[in-house]
Amino acid sequence: MKKTIAIVEDERAIRDNYAAAFSREGYAVRGYPNRREAMSAFAARLPDLAVIDISLEDEPEGGFELCRELRGLSAELPIIFLTARDSELDAVSGLRLGADDFLTKDLSLAHLIARVNALFRRVDALRRPTEEKQVIHRGALSLDGERMSVTWNGQVVLLSLTEFWIVYALTKHPGHVKNRQQLMDAANVVLDDNTITSHIKRIRRKFQVVDPGFDAVHTVYGMGYRWVE
Amino acid sequence: MNRFLELLKTGPISGFRLRTKLLLLAMTTLALPWAGCQYAREMETVLRQSEQQSLLAVTTTIAGSLRGRNELLFRADSLPGSEGSNPRDITPVVLSGVPLIDGRSDEWDTSARNLVRVAGAGGDSLRLLAATHERWLYLALLVRDDRWIFDASELNALNPETLGDRVWLAFDDKRGGQQRLFFGSTGPGAVHARRIETQEYGREEAVEEPRIQSVWQRSRDGWVLEIGIPMSMVGQHLGVLIDDRDRRGARRSSYGTLETSDLRATGRLIAASPDLNDHLRQFSQPGVELMVAAPSGAVLTRLDAPALPGDYTRMRGFLPRMYRVFLDGGAIPRSVSQSDRERAGQELIERAARGAPATALFTGRYENSVIVAAAAPIFTADGKRVVGVIQLAQTADRWLTLRDQALTRLLNLTLFVTLFAVGAAFWFAGRMTLRISRLGAASETALSREGSLSRVLPESEARDELGDLSRSFSSLLGRLDEYTGYLRTLAGKLAHEIRTPLTIVRSSLENLESEAQASGGMGENARIYVARAREGSERLGAILTAMGAATRVEEAIAHSERQRFDLAALVRATVEAYGTAFPQRRFNSEVPAGAIEMNGAPELIVQMLDKLVDNAVDFSADGATITIALQANEDEAEISVANPGPPLPAEADKRLFESLWQSRAEGDVPGERQRPHFGLGLYIVRLIAEFHGGSARAVNLPDDSGALFSVRLARWRGVFGMSDTMRSNRDGSHIQPTQ
Repeated sequence: MKKTIAIVEDERAIRDNYAAAFSREGYAVRGYPNRREAMSAFAARLPDLAVIDISLEDEPEGGFELCRELRGLSAELPIIFLTARDSELDAVSGLRLGADDFLTKDLSLAHLIARVNALFRRVDALRRPTEEKQVIHRGALSLDGERMSVTWNGQVVLLSLTEFWIVYALTKHPGHVKNRQQLMDAANVVLDDNTITSHIKRIRRKFQVVDPGFDAVHTVYGMGYRWVE
Repeated sequence: MNRFLELLKTGPISGFRLRTKLLLLAMTTLALPWAGCQYAREMETVLRQSEQQSLLAVTTTIAGSLRGRNELLFRADSLPGSEGSNPRDITPVVLSGVPLIDGRSDEWDTSARNLVRVAGAGGDSLRLLAATHERWLYLALLVRDDRWIFDASELNALNPETLGDRVWLAFDDKRGGQQRLFFGSTGPGAVHARRIETQEYGREEAVEEPRIQSVWQRSRDGWVLEIGIPMSMVGQHLGVLIDDRDRRGARRSSYGTLETSDLRATGRLIAASPDLNDHLRQFSQPGVELMVAAPSGAVLTRLDAPALPGDYTRMRGFLPRMYRVFLDGGAIPRSVSQSDRERAGQELIERAARGAPATALFTGRYENSVIVAAAAPIFTADGKRVVGVIQLAQTADRWLTLRDQALTRLLNLTLFVTLFAVGAAFWFAGRMTLRISRLGAASETALSREGSLSRVLPESEARDELGDLSRSFSSLLGRLDEYTGYLRTLAGKLAHEIRTPLTIVRSSLENLESEAQASGGMGENARIYVARAREGSERLGAILTAMGAATRVEEAIAHSERQRFDLAALVRATVEAYGTAFPQRRFNSEVPAGAIEMNGAPELIVQMLDKLVDNAVDFSADGATITIALQANEDEAEISVANPGPPLPAEADKRLFESLWQSRAEGDVPGERQRPHFGLGLYIVRLIAEFHGGSARAVNLPDDSGALFSVRLARWRGVFGMSDTMRSNRDGSHIQPTQ
């Protein structure tokens, strides 16, 4: 059965373009121009993944509201924010509401599809029993490449997809310095330096939630970051 | 009028500060004392005139009481002017004290108007002076004589063989007879007047007249004979004759006011009647001097003023003296010298002698004392002829005192008022200037360089014109604020708005490619066009990203956390990394050994260094050496990056660290990178420096061989929270045009 992707986007041309791209990839796509229509449809049947714009028609923050309601309906449903807004504040708000990823519309369709695929993989992996070989252990860290989930001292650390890929890239070769470009490549995003910095900051903070003494991500001034065990 | 206004606008006053202008305005109150002075002078004039008028009235009254009473005015029969003026007339001056009969001429005023001159053999030889005091007549004979011949013997006075120089004195007596007296001396000293009397048998004898006192003395050019005669002895006529001899017994040469043939006196003695003083005394009043003069001006009698009740003393002290400098200029004729004073008195008498009462004002004997005088003619009974003049003089000190007191009070008051007015004006001007300059400063800084506005201006509560000004400034600023706010958010809104259609274009292109691939590929040309379209849209995307970059950077900085770290280690590590990042440049690091602890955001410091090094690399050629130096003291650390290359443009100094400012011209930079450049790098440097409580600046190297960018950072105190700059830029990118 085809996976269903819901696109909530008030700009018809964009919605249709994304729909076309996803359809080509073999997904069933349903598009909604606003929160009201989207919610009434979701109440009847949940999609397998939702791509949401933040500003929806007359609601400048309608996407956030929709995300909150959608999270209320399902805790597992992958949600991606795809927006023309690129401010740090929006990203933090979006991710805090439980979105799996926060992407700007600069992202190419190919990258977007990669993200979507990855998220579906993660959802699928979560449903399967864990295959140990996919799990990387680095001291207190265990990282499941298949499920894209991370635990620290056995406690789950909820990372967004981008964050997961950054951690993944850092922990693949612990002690090696990864510069910002490498991290961007690993995360399949085109971001500027500051965004990487704030991603790193968020990652640290998320780990510090489960372990206040967390200090495994080191900054190597002028070069990048590395994972220290 | 227009010219005056023009002058106000462009003249020297226009250059003054407001405070000076207002002060000058306040100075105009200094005209108050001037006006007061003028008023006081007016008052003084009125007082003086009334004083003169009343004095004149008194004078006229006395003159009226003397009208037709010649017997009271003059000695019996000596009607002046009845026979026309005679050069031999003797008009004695009235002395105020008893003269000393000593044969010396120094107490006589030889320039007096009543001097009688007689030409003798030697020309102008005899000068005859006459004076009266009480009931005495005094005569002084000042004779030029190269040889004073004495009588041979006192006893043989009538022997022609032994006669020396001789003086004859002849006058009528009261009974109408002629008195002839002579003076002959055997030496200088007191002499007796002698009368030749015919004794029995026709023998002539010289008899001494004991009532007459005289002293004969030698003088510088001859001799002086002083004679005192009781007035009662003398009748209407009086004269002297000098028999000058070159040796004893020689032939005489005679000159004098007597007839040489019979020694008859033809010159009149014009003097006041003895009763005149008694008559005048009834008019005497304190401070008023009475004087009666003959129409010729000769003083007949003078009644000195009884002392004034209470002494006039001028006010002392600095201020009254200052006031007097203001006041006394010009109001009173300053005839200071004795002769001037007398001439003034004489003029007054002459005016009265012509038949009309007159008044005058002249300076008295003492400094600053003023005398008011009035003179009136005394007529004969038929009113046709002036027989004398009466003059009353009074010191004007009374009203001077009055004037001085009034003026001092007035001036003290106006001085106080002026000082108060000047003080008030100064205070007001100061306050006004302060308010205006505060408003000016506020309006000047209201619009910051970054375009943010502070709408709160001082004085907006004030209810005067400044308040209105402030409020209109505020509303103007408000409108400006809306406008700049619109401008500021324009870029962000624009970027956001453009991003949506751009996404449409891009996703459409991507779809197009995918579709084409699926259906067997595009034609050659189509691929090229699509590639171009993609390239264009990517560039557009990059521009949009750059436009929003400032905001993102500001947010990132604002959300940064501070920690304690070693700045020296950080700089060392970073510089090391640059070596590998930019292999075409050499990096020279001047970092002191040891740790430099500071409290801040190390990521931001690194980012800042990145931007500075980026900039240095952009502006230097391959192989150039970039020097990164770190210095620190207790409170501050300074990081500087110097690179060889073109010097900074002159105007760049301040604007260099502003957003969207870039001074590089096309081809200016070796290896210009092909990406949209919005000059954000140095702006970020500044933001980070400000976040660390510091500042950034750029200078040319001393020999213009390159540029040096340096950043000061506070080691322990930074700006907590966002800086103003960041706050102002939160809601959008900058739209300041790229230079």
